Amino acid sequence: MGPDTAAIDEILQLIGVFVSFSIAFVSYKGVRRTDSTTLMRLTTAFVFLGLGFLVEGLVGLSGALPWLPSVTATMVVLGLVLETTGYFFLAFSHAIDVMLSKRLALGVLVFPVLAFNGTEMSNLLSILSFYFVLYGVVETLYSYKATRRPDTLLIAGGLALLASGILAQWLSIMYISVNLLPLVEILLKEMGLMMLFVPVLGYVFGREKVSGPI
Amino acid sequence: MAQYRTQVKIIADVLSTARDMNTEGSGVGITMLLRRGNMSYSRMSKLLGELVGSGLLVELNAEKVSKYKISDKGIQFLAAYGHFEDFALSFGLRL
Repeated sequence: MGPDTAAIDEILQLIGVFVSFSIAFVSYKGVRRTDSTTLMRLTTAFVFLGLGFLVEGLVGLSGALPWLPSVTATMVVLGLVLETTGYFFLAFSHAIDVMLSKRLALGVLVFPVLAFNGTEMSNLLSILSFYFVLYGVVETLYSYKATRRPDTLLIAGGLALLASGILAQWLSIMYISVNLLPLVEILLKEMGLMMLFVPVLGYVFGREKVSGPI
Repeated sequence: MAQYRTQVKIIADVLSTARDMNTEGSGVGITMLLRRGNMSYSRMSKLLGELVGSGLLVELNAEKVSKYKISDKGIQFLAAYGHFEDFALSFGLRL
């Protein structure tokens, strides 16, 4: 990646950190007010995603910080692990929510580990992330079918873009010679996160409404 | 597929029944809460004890029969519940 694209990458990673932590902040407010375990899982998911983007952003800064190059490889994997954990909790929320049964939900989440055992670490993490987010897309679309809420469709679209970004990330690991893939990856991911952020904006700055009958 | 209610949803259902059915201001009896809450007597008794203990419901003892009224804290909880239920639904999730 050239110096110009590296700068864009840094800015986009920072946006990712901001968006992820903003969503985590709103979810956490909900946890404090309602003790909801669903919101706790959502908070956990976006805290991990935010930390993942932060670590990946620090990797990009390695040229500017003299002490960073020695730990860059470890940080790349750490960033991916944090990100994958975030996507896991996102999928986990849905797996519990639809109550597929504990055994099936566990199978859904454990299957990729068995299926891709032995592959390269970064490769495996990308595939796992893709699988988790894709699962989130399907469940969110399923929910949209029931509720017909435009917000839910926007979230599903955001997750679909995130999944595409992760696919580009996986391709960039496989085909390292294609220079544009990392930029495509981060662009798709950021567009996805921005789409996730649009419905959340009202909750970041909005006031609580007085609820009607439940 | 069966829709399972979470503990938060059950609490919100009980509180909203206590709010909406308290038309005369003398509270709502356990029979009405059971009818609307769709759960066993023992489970409801335990839950009501917890809700009174946490200040979300107020227990009124009238004519030897316990009746329950939603507190200000309970009303605030329902407002927060409605707000964050919308938020969770955006993600395709239920509280």
